[in-house]
Amino acid sequence: MIENFRISFRDISKRYSSNPVLDQAAISIASHDCIVITGVNGAGKTTLLRIIAGLDKPNQCEVMIDDNRPEPWRRLRRRLLRSVMYLHQQPYMFAGSLLRNIQYAARLNPAVTDRESSVNKAIHWAGLKGLEHQSAASLSGGQKQRVALTRARLRHPQILLLDEPTANLDSESRQRTLQMLQEFRDSGTAIVIVTHDPEVFSELATGRLYLRDHRILGQDVETHEVVNLESVRQSITR
Amino acid sequence: MDVLITSTLEAFRLLLSGNAEIWEIVGISFQVSTLAILFAVPPALLTAFFLTYGNFPGRRLLISIFNTFLAVPAVVIGLTLFIILSRQGPLGDFKLLFTQSAMVIGQFLLCLPILVCMAHVTLQAANRAAWETARTLGASPVRAFFTVLYENRFGLTATLLAGYGRIISEVGASMMLGGNIAHYTRNIPTAIALETSKGAFAEGIALGMVLLFLAFLLNGLLQYLQGKGSINP
Repeated sequence: MIENFRISFRDISKRYSSNPVLDQAAISIASHDCIVITGVNGAGKTTLLRIIAGLDKPNQCEVMIDDNRPEPWRRLRRRLLRSVMYLHQQPYMFAGSLLRNIQYAARLNPAVTDRESSVNKAIHWAGLKGLEHQSAASLSGGQKQRVALTRARLRHPQILLLDEPTANLDSESRQRTLQMLQEFRDSGTAIVIVTHDPEVFSELATGRLYLRDHRILGQDVETHEVVNLESVRQSITR
Repeated sequence: MDVLITSTLEAFRLLLSGNAEIWEIVGISFQVSTLAILFAVPPALLTAFFLTYGNFPGRRLLISIFNTFLAVPAVVIGLTLFIILSRQGPLGDFKLLFTQSAMVIGQFLLCLPILVCMAHVTLQAANRAAWETARTLGASPVRAFFTVLYENRFGLTATLLAGYGRIISEVGASMMLGGNIAHYTRNIPTAIALETSKGAFAEGIALGMVLLFLAFLLNGLLQYLQGKGSINP
């Protein structure tokens, strides 16, 4: 179980050359959250996730953890890399078997003491039993997604970021992914999902935000409350 | 034509009879070139990695410089190092000229740009997600670096083989820096040049055969590795 936490990202600005992608955007994420972010192509959804994960450097960003004073993103980058996990739209599989991919994640977590047993449990949890020695590259999209989530489970991230996790998945794989995400949420992990298909996550989601005009609409970062959702919807449709 | 046939037959006889002088030259060649590649690989991989994943001022200039050095002839490297290592040169006190160490330095500088440029192309074409996945799973930068190298091992081995093939057969720098001293700095290419100038074609052909065989071996290995790394296994 993950302890309660709250992380706020403020004044997120990112430009590629002179083109702004994010301009003073802000988001607040707390344990047990499942925030679904939508927006048109090129709105900056993936960039936002990559900044939160510590993978992309913003031009400007302040991070506030719990009630501590805000600190610049670059000072907290290492901490973000340690506590946030980003799953690519098409999860990357390391060379070798499925087992090697799971073991890789287990080896990197010092909290995993009985590695063999933890790996076996995680494989069982994901319903990947019997596929251990199959080449990870030859797995289906749904199986790769499950491997990525299994690696995440062994990592115990505070925040799990997913980029279009159900795109190109059949209904069975989608259902399985949703079940796994529900378990993450129940254990205290905060989930942030960017998607073009928010209805898929309607049961799981605790909040729905919109990226528009380089800003995030739909949340009061100070209070962590979803605000005036109707007006947000109207501004989107206008 | 007769000369070619008789020299080739004699070359086979020299190789198969275990001619000590020939095999000593082959040994010196392998020793010098292997040391040079061993010294060059770590800095080359690190440089290629920073050129691929880094975002620092002067990155593009550095890539252009390494690309330019690909075209520098071996004799120019030899000449520059000759001046630096000669008695009047800035490193003359180390008395490295006409030693195997000088040859290693020359070959190191020859293969470094090849290794950097080819490794850079390999890493650039590879999936950046390998690095990001390793980092986001909690790998340290060093661990993630070795993960990326492992993920690209086929392309990087091809890079290493290309670099090795370049230096083991180069004559200009070795001749100028080693001085072609018998039993010490005489390697395959400098020995071939010498034997040919003396009209001793059999020795030259014998050594040439060793080089050809090595090239064949390296190409075979390369094709095998490329096959292993194929997307259509």
